[in-house]
Amino acid sequence: MSLRRIINWAILQANTGITGVVASSFYRYSPDGTTWVWACDVDIGQGQVLQNVPVHAINFDLIYAQQGQAVALVRTNVGCGYAIVGLSSTSLGFGHVTYVTFVDQTVAIVRDAWTGVLMRPLTYGELGEYGVGGGYGRLPYGIQGNFSKDGAFISLVAS
Amino acid sequence: MRTLTSSLETAQATFPRQPAYKILAFDPTIDSMSAIINGEYTQIPLDLTPYATDVQWSSGAPGVSTTATGGTNTSELKFTLIDPLGVFNPDSGSLANFLQDRAIIRLLEGDARVDEADWVYTFTGLIHGQVGWVKQRDNLTLQSTVTVFPREAAHSMTKQLITSSQYTVGTELGVMLQDICSTFIGLTPYEYRIPQVLGLQLLHQTNQISQMAPWDAITAILQTVNRIPYFDGEGRLYDINTNLQRPPDRILPDYVRIYDYEFPEQNQDTVNKVVVTFIDSNLTEVDSPLQKLGDAQCTTGFFSMHEKLRCWWSQDHTQRAKNTYMKVIKSVNSGLLPVGSERYSEEDEFHGQIDVDIAVWVPMLAITLEITYAALALSPDMTTPTEVECPGIGTFLVQPSPFGGPVEGLITVNPLAVGQWTISVGRIVQTACMIGIAIIMMSMSSCQYEVWGIPFTYAYLQEQSTAMQDNLQYYDEVEEDITCNFLGSYAQADVVALTELIWQKSLSYPRRLQCDEDLALEVGDIVALPDGRELVITGMSKTLKRGEIPIVQIDGGKVMSY
Repeated sequence: MSLRRIINWAILQANTGITGVVASSFYRYSPDGTTWVWACDVDIGQGQVLQNVPVHAINFDLIYAQQGQAVALVRTNVGCGYAIVGLSSTSLGFGHVTYVTFVDQTVAIVRDAWTGVLMRPLTYGELGEYGVGGGYGRLPYGIQGNFSKDGAFISLVAS
Repeated sequence: MRTLTSSLETAQATFPRQPAYKILAFDPTIDSMSAIINGEYTQIPLDLTPYATDVQWSSGAPGVSTTATGGTNTSELKFTLIDPLGVFNPDSGSLANFLQDRAIIRLLEGDARVDEADWVYTFTGLIHGQVGWVKQRDNLTLQSTVTVFPREAAHSMTKQLITSSQYTVGTELGVMLQDICSTFIGLTPYEYRIPQVLGLQLLHQTNQISQMAPWDAITAILQTVNRIPYFDGEGRLYDINTNLQRPPDRILPDYVRIYDYEFPEQNQDTVNKVVVTFIDSNLTEVDSPLQKLGDAQCTTGFFSMHEKLRCWWSQDHTQRAKNTYMKVIKSVNSGLLPVGSERYSEEDEFHGQIDVDIAVWVPMLAITLEITYAALALSPDMTTPTEVECPGIGTFLVQPSPFGGPVEGLITVNPLAVGQWTISVGRIVQTACMIGIAIIMMSMSSCQYEVWGIPFTYAYLQEQSTAMQDNLQYYDEVEEDITCNFLGSYAQADVVALTELIWQKSLSYPRRLQCDEDLALEVGDIVALPDGRELVITGMSKTLKRGEIPIVQIDGGKVMSY
């Protein structure tokens, strides 16, 4: 057994499942240069989006999976190391971070912050506000945006 | 902290102390562990003290490390047993049952000046398997090193997998824990020293322990309230409160002599970030981009007054969508006349309906025209004699020719021209009717629609509460992940994360105290030294010798507080 196969086997043994959110349209992807599989980008809440995440085997649930859909991932030895195995009943939410300092024996909470984004379609008012140059007609109806926990607009989501 | 009777407390404080101990063994075939701990046993326990030497005792918080190498503390009672008469011989000894597999061993400590009823049990455990014996060559006595393990190390605690019943929303966590302990471990109320109310109610609709070892389940449940389970000296389930924001449990009394206060090596990475992952108890709507959800088409007719076209968002009728609207690809009115109306309505989250209504005048007019057309088909053309005036001759009547001629009901196209011809009035009206019908027919055709909208689904959000040291670079983070499905809100998870971070920070400042034994101290206690310094006890160990005050080594961490 080659070292590569041992490593792959070890990865598969770990088989840790995680949850992510589809962050792009589905596209064709060739992990080995010969075969083609359906894949998409998946946001697993770690800042960087996982790219080229293949859809595991045939999963009819994913016919309806679109951007923003929560999906379940498992370890695999293809591409980024994960594959989509189906829809997930859980989705990534927000994170609340409390920052503390330790001085001698004393603990102090210095600040807190929220992480994560909420992806949702823009409202009519937002469609007229966030387009380049402002005004209606700049953004198509139904376009999605990323918003913070307190509702502040962060960015548009390319679809 | 262990509660001492006043007489034992007084004896501890009065010099010279006369510490004493007893190692008691119980035959597991006669009484159960519960009966023994409850004091309801029927046998006379065997006093192993005369046979035992080199008694080593340790008590530790399970899974908690304060050692340099990161090893965890363990609870254990170990002693050497000398058996000159062979009474413990596993094959032939008359007392072999007291050291057989699952035999219960208890360590009772106190002061010789105090009645034994006031002494306290500092260890209760089990023998696992068979005690190994070695026969001494010089005196042919049997000698054994006996190791007694705590209750939490039993196979039934750590290996056997359980699935509990369901606990609904609002259940107090303490009630759930006690139920599991009672059902799967068989703990009686006396063996359960954890408060019944832990101050946290379940927020999810369904909560269940599934395929977990009992000890793992207890640990997971108590983790949600920042507690660590362990069995105390009496063999009762107790917990270590990792929340250090509380007054010390014991201010070390003056009579306890301190021999050393050390700062042990600790070369493990210090946890500076604690991430608690939990599932929100409420379902949250997760939207997808605007897209075509479905399409529909139909062909209308004169008398199909109303067409209902149902449109589902998925083949299995499970996809949800909102803000749906209809795009008319080909309208029923795309002909010459507006013959009807088209409208769309969202029936529910899973489907919508397109209604095509044909205007009432269409069938009415069509019917009227058909009737008129048919009636005029039966209407004959009438011919009549025509009076012709000839100059110089007079006027005379001309009979109609068999090939036509001036007739009533006809329109003479050119009556003066030779070979004049006429058109039937009825045919013209019929033609008008037919044109009307044809125009309506040509106006009505097939129609095609698309329904667009925003698909969405409901999902439980996976939330995270993080407590971390401020001004920490990404590459400096040492993270501890806690996944707990019994938490359901940020308020609950924030407390867990922050408390765990402070606890881990405290453990990263290990302290070791060597002092006279104080029987009131237990693992998890916060001890205050006379100078105000505090440490939380994570492990204790000592060697018992007859007639000597044991020197106990207390391992712990510096207490951090707000």
